[in-house]
Amino acid sequence: MMHNPLRPPPPLRLVDAAPAPSSATPQAIIRVEDLSIVFDVRRGQVIAVDRVSLAVMSGEFVSLVGPSGCGKSTLLNAMAGLERPFEGQVMVAGEPMLAPRPDIGMVFQQPHLFPWKSVRRNIAHGPRALGKSKAEALRTADDLIEMIGLTKFANAYPHTLSGGMQQRVAIARALANQPRVLLMDEPFGALDAQTRAVMQDNLLELRDRINATIVFVTHDIDEAILLSDRVLIMSAGPGRILRDLSVGLPRPRSSAILTDPAYLALKRDCLDLIRTEGRKAFEQMETVT
Amino acid sequence: MSIGGRNRANAAGRLSVLVGVLSVPTFVGVWELIARSRIVNAVLFPPPSTVAVAVLDWIHSGQFFEDLSASLFRVTAGFLIGTAGGIMLGVLTGQFRLVSSLLSPLFHILRPIPPIAFVPIVILWFGLSEAGKLFLVVWGVFFTVWLATHIGVQKVDRGLIRAAQMLGTPRRQMLSEIVLLGALPYIVVGLRTAVSISFYTLVAAELAGAFAGIVYRIEIAQQNMQTGQVMGGLAALGLLSFIADRSFAAIAERAVWWR
Repeated sequence: MMHNPLRPPPPLRLVDAAPAPSSATPQAIIRVEDLSIVFDVRRGQVIAVDRVSLAVMSGEFVSLVGPSGCGKSTLLNAMAGLERPFEGQVMVAGEPMLAPRPDIGMVFQQPHLFPWKSVRRNIAHGPRALGKSKAEALRTADDLIEMIGLTKFANAYPHTLSGGMQQRVAIARALANQPRVLLMDEPFGALDAQTRAVMQDNLLELRDRINATIVFVTHDIDEAILLSDRVLIMSAGPGRILRDLSVGLPRPRSSAILTDPAYLALKRDCLDLIRTEGRKAFEQMETVT
Repeated sequence: MSIGGRNRANAAGRLSVLVGVLSVPTFVGVWELIARSRIVNAVLFPPPSTVAVAVLDWIHSGQFFEDLSASLFRVTAGFLIGTAGGIMLGVLTGQFRLVSSLLSPLFHILRPIPPIAFVPIVILWFGLSEAGKLFLVVWGVFFTVWLATHIGVQKVDRGLIRAAQMLGTPRRQMLSEIVLLGALPYIVVGLRTAVSISFYTLVAAELAGAFAGIVYRIEIAQQNMQTGQVMGGLAALGLLSFIADRSFAAIAERAVWWR
């Protein structure tokens, strides 16, 4: 419904390492304006997101961090068009988000790969769905498979892959439509610590090549600081944005910065905020029950 | 000691294979002995040799293949029509709440009525035509497949649907690929049940009056007191549904090809 077939998707920019050549004032690609999201529950309603406003610039990597249940995933789903606003609106590339759009990709906590399709065909699904020829879709898939280093597994079925490999396929599948915005909902949350570290490094590398705007939800502060240009810290439910921290650490980054003093100072700030919020959330729960 | 243990296990394994191989021949032998011993009336309880002769006559007369093809046609056509309808409506009721509200209550009322109970009304509606027999088999198959599909569609992982939505999957492909294949493991289980149901309803359909068919032949033989032929027909029916079930199980294993 929201997809405009007359506007061709932007070209695949896998090789171009330079950031988006924007004009002097960077353009906000995502604008969340006074957004509230309310869920119906058995006894009335719950406010999941409470009058949140934020902007994400084109090409930026922004993380949403907060205690569990703070509405960060709901906020992300609203950016994806999977959740309708109760109040306010979400504009992506100048259009209100009311339904999912193929120029906005999403990676979930679980890979959600189509079990009946090989790795190659999973990745080719998006381009095929958008009407690309089979040959073209498979070519895109093969390029991405090479990029995520799974060439040997191109024809394997998802259940034969490890969790980390499956998630890499899910990322490639989301990138196959060349999205302008990539939304990631705790994509590494279900992985073991070692795999997660490798995936973070991979994502940093990948990000330099795809040049998409990324919004990343996590409850892991290390992860948020390591990956992002900006970290938005959310309050315990109802979800509100508490603090907007710029991560001034130089790029390219790797997990080596985890011991950098600037990094540690930033982390201390975040931890203090989150700890206060976490305690508040805990006390709220106590009073409710 | 472990070697002795393994030997004993081997011996036990060999013995059970041997007993398994001898099971049916022993049973047939005992049956032959009892039937010939005049303990029972051999006209009502003929020995297997008489049954075998009756079956051979049946085959030689050419009627066997006529009966077999008539029965196979009813089962196959009824199964295919019932399956197609069941899957189609199952996807619709499973996926669209409004369609489900419209049809599910009706289907749940009709589903528990045994298809055999429809024989009288089917004779009134269709007479002794082929359509009436197909109707009964289709009726039996349809509800089983519909319910399995309906449940399967509702159990499709919501995450898969969201992922497909995010990739721009058109509505039609969402139903024909994501929902249908997501529900396939459930549908296949329903189909296997439907295979045996189609044979149950075949019996009702042919007993209601037919001009050819394996169950029809059993009924005619009964009226002529040809008990050998009756038992031969039963054996043929048993063998047929056994083969159908086994081959369907083999197909089903490949139907969910990604496992």
